[in-house]
Amino acid sequence: MQIIINGKTYAANPGEKILDVARRNRVEIPTLCHSEALPGLASCRLCMVEVHEGGRTQEVAACTYPVTDGMEVVTDSEMITAKRKILLALYNLIAPDSERIKGLMARYHVEPFDRLQADAENKCILCGLCVKACEELGTNAISTLFRGTKKKIGTAFEQPAAECIGCGSCASVCPTQAIEMTEADGKRTIWDKTFELLRCQDCGEYYTTPEALAHVRQKLGDTVGNIEELELCDYCKSRRAAEKLKNGLRLNELFDATVK
Amino acid sequence: MQNKKTIFICCGTGCQANGSMKIYQAMLKAISGLNLDVEVIPDIKKTGCHGLCQKGPLVHIAPKEITYIHVKTADVPEIIERSIIKDEVIDRLLYFDKQQNAKVQSKSDWTFEKKQYRIALRHCGGIANDSIDDYIDKGGYQGLEKVLKTMTPEEVIDVIKKSGLRGRGGGGFPTGLKWTFAAKAQGDVKYVICNGDEGDPGAFMDRSIMEGDPHTVLEGMAICGYAIGANQGFLYIRDEYGLAVENMRKAIADAHSKGLLGKNICDSGFAFDAEVVRGGGAFVCGEETSLIHSIEGSTGEPTPKPPFPANQGLWGKPTIINNVETWANVPVIINKGADWFAAIGSEKSKGTKVFALVGKINNTGLVEVPMGIKLREIIYDIGGGVGKNRKFKAVQTGGPSGGCIPESKLDLPIDYDSLIAEGSMMGSGGMIVIDDRTCMVEFARYYLKFLSEESCGKCVPCREGIKSMLKILTDICEGRGQAGDIELLEEIGAMVKANSLCGLGKTAPNPVLSNIANFRDEFEAHINDKRCPAGVCKNLTKLYIDSKVCIGCGLCVKSCPVGAISGEKKQPHVLDEEKCIKCSSCRERCAVDAVRVR
Ligand SMILES: Cc1cc2nc3c(=O)[nH]c(=O)nc-3n(C[C@H](O)[C@H](O)[C@H](O)COP(=O)(O)O)c2cc1C
Ligand code: SF4
Repeated sequence: MQIIINGKTYAANPGEKILDVARRNRVEIPTLCHSEALPGLASCRLCMVEVHEGGRTQEVAACTYPVTDGMEVVTDSEMITAKRKILLALYNLIAPDSERIKGLMARYHVEPFDRLQADAENKCILCGLCVKACEELGTNAISTLFRGTKKKIGTAFEQPAAECIGCGSCASVCPTQAIEMTEADGKRTIWDKTFELLRCQDCGEYYTTPEALAHVRQKLGDTVGNIEELELCDYCKSRRAAEKLKNGLRLNELFDATVK
Repeated sequence: MQNKKTIFICCGTGCQANGSMKIYQAMLKAISGLNLDVEVIPDIKKTGCHGLCQKGPLVHIAPKEITYIHVKTADVPEIIERSIIKDEVIDRLLYFDKQQNAKVQSKSDWTFEKKQYRIALRHCGGIANDSIDDYIDKGGYQGLEKVLKTMTPEEVIDVIKKSGLRGRGGGGFPTGLKWTFAAKAQGDVKYVICNGDEGDPGAFMDRSIMEGDPHTVLEGMAICGYAIGANQGFLYIRDEYGLAVENMRKAIADAHSKGLLGKNICDSGFAFDAEVVRGGGAFVCGEETSLIHSIEGSTGEPTPKPPFPANQGLWGKPTIINNVETWANVPVIINKGADWFAAIGSEKSKGTKVFALVGKINNTGLVEVPMGIKLREIIYDIGGGVGKNRKFKAVQTGGPSGGCIPESKLDLPIDYDSLIAEGSMMGSGGMIVIDDRTCMVEFARYYLKFLSEESCGKCVPCREGIKSMLKILTDICEGRGQAGDIELLEEIGAMVKANSLCGLGKTAPNPVLSNIANFRDEFEAHINDKRCPAGVCKNLTKLYIDSKVCIGCGLCVKSCPVGAISGEKKQPHVLDEEKCIKCSSCRERCAVDAVRVR
């Protein structure tokens, strides 16, 4: 199966989305809410492309639109770029301080709206990646609250959540660094809840919370839940993995599982 | 019994609000108190909506075909005495038909009725809404029996395809084609859903059908179940629609007891069951993917299409979702055939459409008309023209997703495609008539405000685009409009339409964009001259009394809450602009239209 993007032909597989093929071939399509580990949100709407298919032209979201044999995709037509600029200017109103958005504004030559006031306090674009990450972990500590223009992300009743394990996954997937997570004196604070931090068994740096470690152990179960690598920070984990690989031990698959 | 008389009392929600249940009870009581003559057997039925709600409560007497309007409990003894026991017509309770300039005895002769063609509403007002026997008497469930006994599933889909039926829930997607997708989709378990969420403010046809003729919906769904291979249906009904839920639940139970739902229907081996689910209470829950998530028990928010529900819907199974009115057409098409149906309507839109005619019009209510009818016929012939003898300005169709159509387009034959070409939409069938005292900027703002509250907020173009457009429109209405605002609204609007995830966002800018297209001068007057020509936006309105027109009757003086008007009797009055709060009470009150907008 083949598809054409901006005049060039690329191989594609049934079930793939336009964005998958584009990314694999380094064709630029901007996104904010897309994460390979957590695909399908389709909320940021930055990845709109023009699609010609079966005699019809449509503007679709590349992240969720499935490829069909022979389809033609255009990522930078006037129709697409004009609207992309307007959309980015709206993003600039919601999260003017976000580096990611500033970068996109510069990349696509977007002038801010001077007619409309930006919300200086805010950084969150409500893409929902954090909620999806937390759901995927099975912790469900955060969710969207309210609807429409009042929508926000938070814990239930905006109180510290018993479900939160302080793992920081939400903060790490956030494209605009909108989730505040602070660390000081061996303690981590996130979503108004403070956690003790554990030290890495190799380098001694603080790296996770006991609650998060327990959660991972429980999810992995008896077979791999007790391996000592779980008590290492990400850096030392990959260092050890590299060493073991050098030693011919192909344990990296296992580490992949534990990191997930 | 040849002289058997039947009294129909409209007990739809509109008439109930006007006290029709009390009349129903009074009627029962009055009749039971009488030592009845054998020849007169009043048979009081609780019926669904007649259509002309504004004239309710309506009482209709058959077989003499007398229709009374605005009936009060106090009228009951006289009705029994004169129209039931004797055979007289009570002139005072008849409808005065303006177009005919005469009182008309039977509703079927009202001009309001004459241009109408009832398919979906065929039983509303004509049968008891809680009686399956009545429905069966009128040929109900014959369609289901016919498909089960004489047709293959493919043949059923073929009839629906050939009929040209398109979805009545707004989008107008060809129903038969949609069914084909689900029929072809792999899977043993499939579902059928009735979309009874009806979120469009001002629309109430789906409610009327569910309340007044619940079995037609069930029959339509069961026919589809047979055609696509589904055995379970869900009716997703807006939570506020208590009576619809109640009637639908009773209808399901009654159909079960007659073997028309459940296992082995009509000894065919086919099983179909249905269940009512109450709506999630948000406009967006009417969007099909949200609705499905809501039934599944998760947040009623849309997800991207594809996958389309026909392939992957409820719990991931192939699912057909159709609107209430769409379902109501299905049994008739099966009974009367595809050709019969396809002969009604315009080239690409077949059959009829129910509209909820409201706003500044003389006859408000539900009307069902053949597709392709001219807007002018709906507004002037059926609707009786603009109320209070004001000037027609526009008609809004499609609710929050639609747009306004101006006077110059009144001869447009209406169907799905012609309305879209005019920047509006069929929508679910709301039709609001607007007169010259409506500000088109403010009107667009009203819908945008509604949408800003109803957008689920999941995707940025819709959530933030609507918010920004609303901000600009509010500025314009309050006198802070700037040069370039119109163009900015158009640019943001185009992006919101193209980039939004679901149909809510994809159509949300329509009310604004269509008003800009048709009434640009009004936007410009607000922005450049700081003037609201309709006299609605308070910061931009200045009222005065035209001394050449004023007859000095003094009505305005009494109506003004702040004492801004003064003058001698029979002399032209003066309005003090400093004191005036622009409430327009005087303008509404003035019989000679002397209060003017500067
Ligand atoms: C925001 C939104 C609200 C909707 N609300 C309704 C509704 O209340 N009732 C309805 O039948 N369809 C509604 N629809 C359309 C449905 O998504 C769907 O297209 C329809 O139920 C399909 O049935 P039909 O083909 O018979 O029209 C809505 C769509 C959108 C985007
Ligand atoms: S278009 Fe609006 S209602 Fe639809 S998903 Fe996006 S935010 Fe929600």
